[in-house]
Amino acid sequence: MDDWTFRAEQVTKVFGELRANDGITLQVRPGEVYGLLGPNGAGKTTLVKQVIGLLKPSSGSLTLGTYDLVEDPDAARQLCSYLPQAQMPIDSFKPHQVISLTGMIRGGDPVTVRQRSEEMIEALDIGEWRDTMGARLSGGIKRLVGFAMVTVWPGRVVILDEPTNDVDPRRRRLLWEQIRRLGDGGASVFLVTHNVLEAEKSVDRLAIINDGRLIAEGTPSSLKSEDRGRMRLQLMMVPGHATPEMPAFVHHHTRVGNNVMAAISEADSAHAIGWAQELMRLDEAEEYALAATTLEDVYIRMTGHVSEDMGGEVQA
Amino acid sequence: MTAPQAVEATPFTVNAGVGHWLQSYMMMTRWELTSLRMLLPLIVAIQIVIGGGFALGVGLLSDQMPTRAALYLSTGVTVVTLITVGLVMGPQLVANHKTAGTYDFMWSLPVPRTTQAVAWVTVNSVIALPGMVAALLIANWRYDLPLQVTLSIVPAVLLTIVTATMVGYAFAHAIRKPMITQLITTLVIFVILGFAPINFPPENLPDWLATVNLGLPFYHMAVVMRGGLTEGLVTNVGISYLVLGAYTVASVVVAAWVVGRRD
Repeated sequence: MDDWTFRAEQVTKVFGELRANDGITLQVRPGEVYGLLGPNGAGKTTLVKQVIGLLKPSSGSLTLGTYDLVEDPDAARQLCSYLPQAQMPIDSFKPHQVISLTGMIRGGDPVTVRQRSEEMIEALDIGEWRDTMGARLSGGIKRLVGFAMVTVWPGRVVILDEPTNDVDPRRRRLLWEQIRRLGDGGASVFLVTHNVLEAEKSVDRLAIINDGRLIAEGTPSSLKSEDRGRMRLQLMMVPGHATPEMPAFVHHHTRVGNNVMAAISEADSAHAIGWAQELMRLDEAEEYALAATTLEDVYIRMTGHVSEDMGGEVQA
Repeated sequence: MTAPQAVEATPFTVNAGVGHWLQSYMMMTRWELTSLRMLLPLIVAIQIVIGGGFALGVGLLSDQMPTRAALYLSTGVTVVTLITVGLVMGPQLVANHKTAGTYDFMWSLPVPRTTQAVAWVTVNSVIALPGMVAALLIANWRYDLPLQVTLSIVPAVLLTIVTATMVGYAFAHAIRKPMITQLITTLVIFVILGFAPINFPPENLPDWLATVNLGLPFYHMAVVMRGGLTEGLVTNVGISYLVLGAYTVASVVVAAWVVGRRD
């Protein structure tokens, strides 16, 4: 079979009154790293659990090439690898053992799997813990071992639910390199994340999901096109001080803690700086920063949430 | 540090058939045994203590244990040890997977679900059999019993352990909340110990309860086990094999349905 394109058509999943997924349609081509972004409870994990056969759609179809993943969950589990968001059951295993064993369960031959297992341990820089029992590993190292387990013999579709959780910044970079390599090997990578900034740098395309619906899809730069020519003015307010009244040139604004983020047009930069300096003179703000907009700003505009690392709600 | 080559995405086809099933079964048994390796010696030791302790402890009820009562007791203890593992310990281990959040990963592995169930029976047998043998040996030593072990003990043990394990397995997977699973298994074991004629003859029960037990598997488990361990203690063993066999088939069918179903 040559066509290994993953297709979701009108996938709807209803739990009682809740429409966890509502008519989601998307395609992922082999070699693509595809991000699924959205706030907690948006329906991202529900969607990927249907791909791997842990849940059954209420309606709609999920196919990989000619395989119907809904009708044939055995095939779905063989064709897709899945790193769940929860921790992995590896307390009684040493990393190199459990990576190899999972590779063999995934259908790899023992010799190749052992060799790849050692390569991944080296590539993720976790050799120090190669022979340490899982129960004694930190959360971040467990996460990396879990990643190696599900990708040492990757499926046609690799589903990674928040793979970088708890991972330190240096190894996070190594992890992203390996995720890219999965795509280079021909896998379609589904990356579920709430970390918008990381996703912006790492995915080929992405979908933003909110309240169970796919509300935007495209490359990071195409999604940012509407914000092209805009800047983000970030004001750090004096703790406890109310949000100042916004001047007419502010398109919309968000407050997270004592930070107020305002979207402005590039042409209004000088006005914005003048306004920010005035707020500092009045002892309302402590400092300010002016920067190019990122995917985060798109995400805020579309979902009404800021990404989890910042925590907060859009106020206007 | 040399970065590994990009790993080619596989598979090209989907596996099926007997070879794939056997390979998956062996891998899953290895996974389950390795998962438990830190606890396994402790669990087996506890089973031995439970079996042996029960056989000895009940003997304290009277100074002179009649041989017939001692035979009922010691052969009954073997059933109790097998049932305890299948209906109590097994479900609690599944509940642990749910509590720890590791359940989804185990259920996403690319193996036929039935291999996970059969691997589970294998692991339960590894846990239960030493306790069963120890209970029998200790009871034999303590009460000097006229035991006559025959080959029919093999199907008796198999049917008992498969039924208990599969019922426990189906329970544990069907019930969402691990806490409820643990409450139910605790209740089940008390009801079985108190109201099923395993350690005593059914004549000791009120008629209606004895009749109810004829329709449940526990009494029949005890009969087939006694058939394999003693001579002349029980009659109508064939009927018990039929009833228990039907329960075994039903428990396997229900377990297969439960593990194959998706929300």
